[in-house]
Amino acid sequence: MMSLINSPRRKQLRITNISGGAEVRRRLFSLGIHKDDIVELDSRSMFRGPVLIRNNTTGTSVAIGRGIASKIMVDFVE
Amino acid sequence: MNKKEGIPDIVFIGQPNCGKSTLFNFIAGLKAVTSNFPGTTVKHTHSKVSVRGRLFNIIDLPGTYSLNPADEAEKVALTHLFVEKPDLVINVVDASILGRSLEMTLELMELEYPMVLALNMIDMAEKKGIEIDPEKLEEMLGIPVVSTIASHGRGVKELLDRAISCLDEGLKPKRLVWSKDVEDKIKEVEEFIPDEFKSVANNRFTAIKSIELDRPSFNRMIQEISLPLKNSIDNAREELQRNHDAPAYEVIAAERHHLAFKMFEDCCKVTRRKKASFAERIDDILMHPFLGYFILLGVFISFFLIIFVVASPIEELLLAPLTALRGVLSDFLGKGILFYLADGLIQGIGGGIAIVLPYFIPLLLLMSFLEDIGYLSRVGFLMDTLMHKIGLHGKSVSPFMLGFGCNVPAVVSTRILESRRDKIITTLLIPFIPCSARTTIILALIAFYVGPLWAVGFYLFNMLLVAVLGRVISLFFKTQSPGLILEIPSLKVPSISNVLKKVYFQLKSFIGFAWPILIAGSVVLGLFQFFHVDRVINIALSPIVEHVLGLPEELGVTLIFGFLRKELSLIMMLQALGVGYSQLLTVVSQQQIIVFTIFLSFFIPCLSTVAIIWKEIGRKWAFLSVLLNTSVALLISFIARLIFIGI
Repeated sequence: MMSLINSPRRKQLRITNISGGAEVRRRLFSLGIHKDDIVELDSRSMFRGPVLIRNNTTGTSVAIGRGIASKIMVDFVE
Repeated sequence: MNKKEGIPDIVFIGQPNCGKSTLFNFIAGLKAVTSNFPGTTVKHTHSKVSVRGRLFNIIDLPGTYSLNPADEAEKVALTHLFVEKPDLVINVVDASILGRSLEMTLELMELEYPMVLALNMIDMAEKKGIEIDPEKLEEMLGIPVVSTIASHGRGVKELLDRAISCLDEGLKPKRLVWSKDVEDKIKEVEEFIPDEFKSVANNRFTAIKSIELDRPSFNRMIQEISLPLKNSIDNAREELQRNHDAPAYEVIAAERHHLAFKMFEDCCKVTRRKKASFAERIDDILMHPFLGYFILLGVFISFFLIIFVVASPIEELLLAPLTALRGVLSDFLGKGILFYLADGLIQGIGGGIAIVLPYFIPLLLLMSFLEDIGYLSRVGFLMDTLMHKIGLHGKSVSPFMLGFGCNVPAVVSTRILESRRDKIITTLLIPFIPCSARTTIILALIAFYVGPLWAVGFYLFNMLLVAVLGRVISLFFKTQSPGLILEIPSLKVPSISNVLKKVYFQLKSFIGFAWPILIAGSVVLGLFQFFHVDRVINIALSPIVEHVLGLPEELGVTLIFGFLRKELSLIMMLQALGVGYSQLLTVVSQQQIIVFTIFLSFFIPCLSTVAIIWKEIGRKWAFLSVLLNTSVALLISFIARLIFIGI
């Protein structure tokens, strides 16, 4: 288990838990980020910036601020 | 249905970037605005069209990710959908992300309005290796499904044909069944909905939304309507939470998600491509942690080049005939009240045409282009870290960028921000962004009289001020910015007609709002001059102008002009001091020019900006904005006076 901001790039990751406020979770949900989705970290900003994730389950790309990204926990896909 | 005329209402609804507005435009002609940035259609657009000899009222709603509104643009969509009850819903989805888009389709079907699904951008889906079987999807959903490519108009005729048949037959979508325990809870809540309660669409939908919408204001409202209903909702939420180990709204969202995903898998064949596409490779550079910022810097520089190199010569070109006209008028009308009225009118119209448009149109074009190809959301991503430093996040960048053209549309565009906190902070900061009128002043006064490098320095100082103020203002808010969650759509080849339509639309609404205020303001100023109100104002303002800022008393009245229209202050300054442009330095010093420009740039946002702030976030904030700008302007220009002029 690690959070999205500590994960390596371009590796298949499975979302195991999303914590954080109800509004944020709702927003993530409606943008197609759910628990159990397979995602990939696409690129990272230079100065401790947001992360860009590509959701391989739903086919969408979403930029997520660091604060929120730290609340999304992932695991390597076996 | 439009009761008076009996014309059926057809609404277009879909998630941002699904090509909904492009499709709508294709059908309606030249009306809605499209883009590749979430949330351009902040207001809905109406149009009447004739299909097969029948008239329809078609409505383009702002893109929304779900039927639980998060930002204001989404609220517009939902209010319309719930209150005005359309006769037919056309749900437009981006076929290349069908799995996610179907979740909202299922949510829309719960409304049980007649509905048609447009599988738009089907070519993009194919490029991504997704092959969709529309017939199978149609069978599963129980609503007509049509593949379209809106940008080429492909499939539009079939879509309309099937939509009209669907409307005529009153075909309602299938009711999809969820897990038993969730269904049970919905039925329980449904039973407690009182007969006199005006349900949205149908009781089942109302029950589902009541369970989902766990917000204090909503809960209070339900409690007032019916206590048993409130209890049944509470009970449903609790039990769902207990059984699924997740909040009730997530349980319901998960039902849709699983159903949608199952359908997606059943009707699609996905062949993964190994090689990255051309667009993806470009994207890797644009979003590169290092190169990306170089490109961004280049974009910003071209932004300023437009302001300094392209727009300002055009402005001079346009202003010349106006000045000439003014001379002719004064010969013709003498110095009577008629001259002042006519002069005010010309100044108002002229200011709108010559000063605002040369800056505003190129900036709008560039912004629309960046939006259309999908770069603007990437700017949001790249700038997120910096915006965090001033208490905001990446999505606030585009309102700020628009602010360099004119503050008014910039304030309107804050509607894309989800949290009210972010919206307020961004709105309070926008009046500090040097708009085209203020750029004119900075160029004409600082660059010309003090030196071009000083003007650049002024701009940099201005940016620093915005950053510092952002930080200070966010200290007053207890809540933190919710943070960035921004969809990054695929890069697209820009469509020139989309870009032009968008510029046209924004320009139209800008002219409709700001020009009347501009012209009325100028006419009032003409009257001021005729009745010599300026002297009274000069005396009243002399404590500030003379003693705090160390400027000649005559400049007092120009500040009032600055409130009505910033760039007028410049013209009036010369008039008030009684000198021509070239002799300005004989009456004021370079140092005084700096102090004057600082004060003028930062004090009270212009009248049109105050009006739009009032309209967007309320009177209280509009007053606060005026107060903030005035006190910051006083403080900074006083400090500048101490540095440059001395006591």
